[in-house]
Amino acid sequence: MKFKSRKKEQFFWGYVFLAFPLLLLSTFVFFPIGFAFVVSFFDWNLLIPDKPFVGLGNYIELFKDPVFIKAIKNTIIYTLGVVPVQTLLSLFLAFIMNQKIRGRAFFRTAFYIPAITSSVVTSIIFVWIYSKPGLLNYLLNSVGITSNIDWLTNPLTVLPSIMMLNIWTTSGYFMVSFLAGLQNIPSSLYEAAKIDGASQWQQFWKITVPMVRPVTYFVVIMSLIGCFQVFDQIFIMSSGGPDNASTTMSYFVYQNSFKYFRFGFGAASAVILALLIFATTVIQKKYFPPDAY
Amino acid sequence: MKFNIILLFIALSLLGCNEKESVARYTSWQSSQTEEKIIRQTLQNFEKEYPEVPYQFQPIPGNYTEKLQLMLGTGKAPDLFWLKGDTSPAYMSFDVLEPLDPYLEQDIDFEANDFFPVFRDAFKYRGKNYGIAKDFNAYVLFYNKTMFSEAGLDTVPTTWQELYDFSKKLTKDSDRDGKIDQFGFVIEPSIDIVMPFAYQNGAEIVSDKGEIKIGTPEFIEATEFMMSLYRDGIATIPPDLGAGWMGDVFARKQCAMIISGAWLIPYLRDNAPDLEYGVVELPKGKKKATLAFSVAMVIPKQSKHKEDAWKLLSYLNGKEGMTTWTESGIALPTRKSVAEKNGFYNDSIYSVFMKSVDYAKLYKVNMQERWYDESQSAMQGIFYKKKDIGKTLKELAVNLEKYTLE
Repeated sequence: MKFKSRKKEQFFWGYVFLAFPLLLLSTFVFFPIGFAFVVSFFDWNLLIPDKPFVGLGNYIELFKDPVFIKAIKNTIIYTLGVVPVQTLLSLFLAFIMNQKIRGRAFFRTAFYIPAITSSVVTSIIFVWIYSKPGLLNYLLNSVGITSNIDWLTNPLTVLPSIMMLNIWTTSGYFMVSFLAGLQNIPSSLYEAAKIDGASQWQQFWKITVPMVRPVTYFVVIMSLIGCFQVFDQIFIMSSGGPDNASTTMSYFVYQNSFKYFRFGFGAASAVILALLIFATTVIQKKYFPPDAY
Repeated sequence: MKFNIILLFIALSLLGCNEKESVARYTSWQSSQTEEKIIRQTLQNFEKEYPEVPYQFQPIPGNYTEKLQLMLGTGKAPDLFWLKGDTSPAYMSFDVLEPLDPYLEQDIDFEANDFFPVFRDAFKYRGKNYGIAKDFNAYVLFYNKTMFSEAGLDTVPTTWQELYDFSKKLTKDSDRDGKIDQFGFVIEPSIDIVMPFAYQNGAEIVSDKGEIKIGTPEFIEATEFMMSLYRDGIATIPPDLGAGWMGDVFARKQCAMIISGAWLIPYLRDNAPDLEYGVVELPKGKKKATLAFSVAMVIPKQSKHKEDAWKLLSYLNGKEGMTTWTESGIALPTRKSVAEKNGFYNDSIYSVFMKSVDYAKLYKVNMQERWYDESQSAMQGIFYKKKDIGKTLKELAVNLEKYTLE
């Protein structure tokens, strides 16, 4: 009997501690998610009182909207461009930062600073770098490549330019994750490999890469989600332009909900975005699980 | 007990939401400190005159449109607020604004006929007035006097052909490095720069009956003209010079002429105090036309203090309020008597804006907001992707059919 009541008490205090975070999460996360899903079936203009039920009407309209199709395309190109480069780069940086090199603390800080700098600030700096008389063209010209393009108003370069910025800002953040993973690899593995005569390069590919696989899994999923949701850089640097060459799905959601007052339509596009993220995560979990070796 | 503490927190946070709504609330955006100072000055004068009307001034410092939209949607909208002219058609069609005609009829002192005709009917929708134009701005031509005299020009362009010829004469490569240092003109791949020229050519965006007119030969011809200036290298666009906007190019003395509103004047004062410029009316096409921008003061339907809100609106946009508001020249008056009283007709710069009012068309298109972004995309396609003008505009016209307001 005594045992049972103690268990009960444990449950009670467990829920007490959970109550507040649960309340916050439900009010600000779970409820809005469910609400957005419901809203996506209505033609809801915040300013007009009646909200007719339109069923799948918003979704059908979405796939007939050329701007939305372009936004999906841009988002996928963006993700495919950023995620692999970012993952490899941050792993590589972490591998170097894990060696005993001079000035390691300085480099670690230098690589991590972009991650803790506000994305608004970095975006504004890069607007200047990418401008026609900006730093990038100056550097290109000084090494002998004649470049006179405005990177952010050229439809061909705008998306890759923003991709480069994102790779630069987030690699430092993921580098730290990889560093933690690297430090968990027992040094005996490397010592054994050295005795067997493995080169640095072989050690990297045969020991480091497989051993940090759980971290890689985490990094890929987080950066996939981040890329699918890219918004601030687009909002500040290009406003989706020129000619929608850099309109992403999140930007499309924002425009329709808050500029054109179409909350139902905007919610529907947000649901599609969520489904896309969900699907990619499931695929990754199924075919590239974190501990498959 | 600990539970009580948690409950207390929740109760307190809920109490915080329960805002005081017992007096009329007046809301504006804040674009500068000078502006806010003048607004407060005007309100102080109002208090002296009407001490019996209670009100509260609650400016919104950022994300004005989004915040206002949420306030309207949740029934917490201010009782009197500013509405941008270009977003007004959507609000009027959503039926969230109070028709002001009964108030206009009652309030004899308001004298609506004192307003310039273009602004008196500016916010009319289906025969009803929904807003009062609090001030305006209009596109005129600014030119750099030094550059004009260097090029030996002692007149200003008054026709499209002259605008082209002048731009050509004013474009030069002083250090002969193959890069042009001074352009004749600056434009922007933006629909509102093309609009005055389209109007001058007899075109329009959407007719009164709701037909899209953007694909008509007149509209295409006006766009062709703008593009020809850029294509022939005698006009530039801000991104080509790494400038943020057109005014920046003019302030850096990289172009001789620019189309702009009066917002350029304080910018030039701060950023190029030594620049000697003149202001003239836009060159004319088949007829004179320019674009006027205005902001409305409106009362929402949901307001519980409409009478007080009207009293405030009536004072702020009355002869007295508008005189205080526009005295310093940060905004231009929509009332003829105020323009006369403040001496705008005798000023070499402001008189140009006043003359432009006679033939200006209001920048307000009766379409859903998305028309603007679609048109911007089309213009960017024309300028950056060198798309065919006629084809792009005709496609745009078809595309815009979806966004007309019935």
